[in-house]
Amino acid sequence: MLPYNLYLFFVFVAIDVPSLKCGDVVHLSASESADKLEAVPSLSTAAVSSPVPPVDTVFSFSLLSSFPEDLEVSDYCSDLLHIFGQRYVAYVNCLVPAARPVKVCQSCYSTYGSVVEIYKNISSDQMGPGNVTCRDSLLRSDRLMLVYQLYSNLESLWEDSNCAQCVTGHLESLTNDTLYFMSTLNQTLTCFEKYQQGNHTELCKNCKSAYGTLNVLYSQMEQNSTLCIDIEDAMNMTRRLWSKNFNCSFPREENVPVIAVSSFMLFLPIIFYLSSFLHSEQKKRKLIHPRRAKSNTSLMNIQDKLS
Amino acid sequence: MANITKKVSWSSRGDDSALTGEGTPLLNGTEIPKPSRQVSMSLDYDNIENQLFLEEERRMSHMGFRCLEISRWVICGLIGILTGLIACFIDIMVEKLAGYKYQVIKENIEKFTEVGGLSISLILWAVLNCAFVLVGGVMVAFFEPIAAGSGIPQIKCYLNGVKIPRVVRLKTLVVKVIGVICSVAGGLAVGKEGPMIHSGAVVAAGVSQGRSTSLKRDFKMFEYFRRDTEKRDFVSAGAAAGVSAAFGAPVGGVLFSLEEGASFWNQMLTWRIFFASMISTFTLNFFLSIYHGKPGDLSNPGLINFGRFESDSVAYYYYEIPLFMCMGALGGLLGALFNSLNYWLTIFRIRYVHRPCLQVIEALLVAAVTAAVSFTMIYFSNDCQPLGPEHNEEYPLQLFCADGEYNAMATAFFNTPERSVRSLFHNQPGSYNPLTLGLFTLTYFFLACWTYGLAVSAGVFIPSLLIGAAWGRLCGILLASFTPTSPIWADPGKYALIGAAAQLGGIVRMTLSLTVIMVEATGNVTYGLPIMLVLMIAKIVGDYFQEGLYDIHIKLQSVPFLHWEAPATSHWLTAREVMSSPVTCFNRIEKVGTIVDVLSNTSTNHNGFPVVVQPAKLCGLILRSQLIVLLKHKVFVELARSRLSQRKLQLKDFRDAYPRFPPIQSIHVSQDERECMMDLTEFMNPTPYTVPQDTSLPRVFKLFRALGLRHLVVADDVNRVIGLVTRKDLARYHLGKHGLEELQLAQT
Repeated sequence: MLPYNLYLFFVFVAIDVPSLKCGDVVHLSASESADKLEAVPSLSTAAVSSPVPPVDTVFSFSLLSSFPEDLEVSDYCSDLLHIFGQRYVAYVNCLVPAARPVKVCQSCYSTYGSVVEIYKNISSDQMGPGNVTCRDSLLRSDRLMLVYQLYSNLESLWEDSNCAQCVTGHLESLTNDTLYFMSTLNQTLTCFEKYQQGNHTELCKNCKSAYGTLNVLYSQMEQNSTLCIDIEDAMNMTRRLWSKNFNCSFPREENVPVIAVSSFMLFLPIIFYLSSFLHSEQKKRKLIHPRRAKSNTSLMNIQDKLS
Repeated sequence: MANITKKVSWSSRGDDSALTGEGTPLLNGTEIPKPSRQVSMSLDYDNIENQLFLEEERRMSHMGFRCLEISRWVICGLIGILTGLIACFIDIMVEKLAGYKYQVIKENIEKFTEVGGLSISLILWAVLNCAFVLVGGVMVAFFEPIAAGSGIPQIKCYLNGVKIPRVVRLKTLVVKVIGVICSVAGGLAVGKEGPMIHSGAVVAAGVSQGRSTSLKRDFKMFEYFRRDTEKRDFVSAGAAAGVSAAFGAPVGGVLFSLEEGASFWNQMLTWRIFFASMISTFTLNFFLSIYHGKPGDLSNPGLINFGRFESDSVAYYYYEIPLFMCMGALGGLLGALFNSLNYWLTIFRIRYVHRPCLQVIEALLVAAVTAAVSFTMIYFSNDCQPLGPEHNEEYPLQLFCADGEYNAMATAFFNTPERSVRSLFHNQPGSYNPLTLGLFTLTYFFLACWTYGLAVSAGVFIPSLLIGAAWGRLCGILLASFTPTSPIWADPGKYALIGAAAQLGGIVRMTLSLTVIMVEATGNVTYGLPIMLVLMIAKIVGDYFQEGLYDIHIKLQSVPFLHWEAPATSHWLTAREVMSSPVTCFNRIEKVGTIVDVLSNTSTNHNGFPVVVQPAKLCGLILRSQLIVLLKHKVFVELARSRLSQRKLQLKDFRDAYPRFPPIQSIHVSQDERECMMDLTEFMNPTPYTVPQDTSLPRVFKLFRALGLRHLVVADDVNRVIGLVTRKDLARYHLGKHGLEELQLAQT
C-alpha cells in the first residue's frame, strides 16, 4: 500500500506546484470532485508556460488515484518511482530486524545497492525513452522533495553506520577483513558457548587466546579504520560478555605492593623535611633598620600619636 | 624637642665633614656583609634632565624623533614575534616530551596489568617524573635561582619599579624556558603560563636594548632606549605579549600590564602594547598551525586552549547567578586556604631548605610523590566510563575496567594539567562520577600548594584552574542531581568554568585582567558577567583572610613594593617621620677621594646623593651609576684643564654602561687622583623633586607611584637637605589588623 500511495502523492504534488507557488492553500476534500476532472489538464498546461491565477478548485485524493494519465510525469518516470518505492521498502524491511544486534551492513548491503542504483537512474540527467528526464519532475518540483529526503535519510544512515568500510566498493560483497573478523568472532563465541556452563574461570582461561586474537584484530582494524557498526557492535557485545557476564577482567590483586611502594614514597618527604628542620642551619633574616631623624622608632611614634 | 636636638647634631656633623653617611650601618650585624647577590634595586624612571640631556635633545632633529617612534613600533613587533615563537617552542616541546612519557608508561601499565607487577609501573612513572624534574631543578637551583616559580611576582615588582637582580637576563630566559618544559613534562602540578609572561618580559628587555651583555654582542641598535624608563615600557609590552601568547588573550595581556604596572602609563603606550600582544598571539597561531599541519589557519588559540563552549551549553539564566556567586565565595575561601598553607611552607623553605642541593632533592621528592599519589588514585578508582567515539581521552588507561572502558580518574591524573582542564570543561555530562572529582580536588589542591615555591620554574594558573574546574564540575553534577526534572541548565562544563574562575581568582586575586583573560580564553563574551561577579566575590572573600599569592611572595622576598594606594590612615605621618636621615651629600665640586670612599662604603650602599652648595643648600641630585661612569672616564677638573683635547663626556657613555654598571671596586683610582676635584654640575639632575618636611605620607606616596621616583629629597624652608625618602621608607607602612603597622624589611 505504501509505495502506491507515495507514487500518487507525488503525481499530485508535481501537478500542483504552480498553484502552491502563488501562495494559495489548497484544501483537499472530496466535495468538489466534479470540476477537477477538467481543471487538472488545463492547469498543467498552463503551468508549463506561465503562472496561472489562483485556482480555488479542490482536489480529491481518491479521485486523483483513479486519474488515468497525467501530462507532466511520464510513464517512464512513474515506473522509476514505482521501482524506487519497492526497493525502498525492501531495504527498510531488511533494516528493521537487523537493528539489534546490529547487522545492518552485512545483511542489507545488497538491498541498499539496489536503492542506490535506482536513485542514480532517477537523478541522472540522461534522457530516458521519449526524451524525458525524471530528475526535475521527481526530485525537485516541490518544496517537500520527498524522494530526495527519503533517499538522503537512508544515505545518512549508511554513512553513520560506516558500512562502506565493510563492503567492497560497488556494494557487491563484504570485504575480506570483515569476513575474517566474523569468522574469528564466531570462533570466540563458540568457545564461550562451550564453556558457558559451570565455572567461569574455566572459560576465562580457555577462551583467552581466542578472545585475545579477536581483540588484537579489532584494534588493528580500528587503526586502519575498517570498522563498521556491525563489527563495533559485535565487539562491544563480546567485550561485555567477557568483562561483565563472565567477569574475566583483570582482578585488582596487587594492593599490597602498590600501597607499600607509594607509602614509602610518601614517607620520603617527611623524613626530608624533618632532617632539614633538625640539621640544616636556620637562615636568619637580617633586618634593615631605617635611619631616622629621631631616636625612637616610628612604631612608637604611631602609638604615641594614637594614644 | 628630641628631634630638634637630633637635627642639630646632624647638621653640626655635616658641617664638619660635608658628608654624614658614616653613622649607623644599615645592616643589623657587626660583620661587613659582602655585596649580596640578591639586593633588589629600584629603577630610575625619572628622567635626568642634566645638561648633557639638553644638549642631546638640541642636536636631535625632528626626523630623529620620528625614527625613534618608528623604532619603538618595530621593537614591539619584534617582541611579539619572539614571544610567540618561544611560546610555540614550549608548547611543542611539552607536548612531545609528555606524549612520549605517557606513551611509555601506558604501555608499561598495560603490560603489567596482565602479568602483574604494577608497582613497577609506579616506580617507572616516578623515575621518569624525577628525571625530568631533576634537569629542570638543577638548572634552576644551581644556575639561575631567580628563574624559579612563575615569575609573575618578579615582573610585578619590575613594573612597580623594583628591579630584582638578573630578572631580565638572557640566561634567566634560557633557564626558565627549559625549566618549565621539564617541570610540566615531569608531571608536577604546574602550568606554563606564568613562565611565559616572564619570558615575554625578558625578551622585551633584551630586544629593546639592541644588545646582549650575556653574549657580549652589541648590535649598535636602539641605543636611545638604554635607560630604565624606556626599558620599563618595553617590559610591560613584553609581559602583555607573554600573557597574550599564553592564553590567546591579547586584550587580557594589555590589561594585565595595565593592572600590574599601571602607575606610569600613557595612552600611546597602550596602543603599542596592544600591537605587541596581538602580534604575539598570531605568531603563535601561525606556527602552531604549521605544526598541526594546517598552515595558514590563524584561528588556533593560545597555549592554553580551553576549547570552545558550544552554544547550547553556554546558556545560563538569571537564577543561576546566585549559585555562581556562592561558588565565587567558596573559591575565595579555598584560595585563602591555599595561600595560607603556601605561606607557611614558603617560610619553612626560606629558613631551612635554602641550599641548592636540598632544593633539588625537594623538587624530586615532590615529583615522586605526585606520581605515587596519582597512581594510587588511579589504581583504586572504580570509576569506569565507556570510550567515546571521538576519543577525547589522549591516553586512556583501562587498568581494571571492563574492555572498551577507561578509568575516569586517569583522564584527570594521567595527563598534562592543561588537557585535564579541557576535559573537565568539555567532556560529556556523566564522564566523571562525584567521588572521583572530590578525591581529585582534594589531592590536587595539596599537591599544587606543595609544588608552588619549589625551585623549578612553574606557574600556578593551570593548577588553580584545574582544582577549580574539578570542584566546579562537582557542584554542577550535584546541582543536577538535586533537580532531576530539569537537568538541562546544570551543565557540568559550565560550572567547571565558573569554579575554575573562582579558584584562580581566590588564589591570585587579579581582577580586571583575569576576567578578560578568562573571557578571551574561552572565546565567549556571554560569560563575561558571571566570571566578573565570581572573581569579584572571590577577591572580596579571599582578601578578608589572606593576601594574594603573588603579594605574599613579594612580601616574603622583602621587596619594597608600592601598592596602588598609601595605607588609608596614614595622613598624619609626615615626610619628616618617614625619611631617612642624615643624608650623605656631595658638594657641587667634590674631592674624588671622598666620592670613592662613600661609594665603596659597603655598609651604606646608597644610590642617590643630593648635591649641595654650602651651606647644605640643595642644587641637584646625582646617582651612583653616574658617578661610577664619571670616575671611570676620569672626568676630573684638573685633568680637563691640563688636557683640553679630551673628549667631552656624552650621554652615550652613560648608556653604554647601562644596565650593568661596574662595581666601585673595579675602578682604580690612584692616590694622586684622589686629591683631584670633580665638577658634578653638568651631570647632576639640577631639578630633583623635593617636598617640605610636613608633607603627608599619602602625598609622598602619590609622587612615588605616579612619577616613578626613586629618591625624593626632603628640604626645609631654606632649601637645605634634611632627609631623603626612598621606596623602602614608604613600603614599610601598611594597614594591619591593629591600624597602621611598620614592617621590618629584611635583607634576603
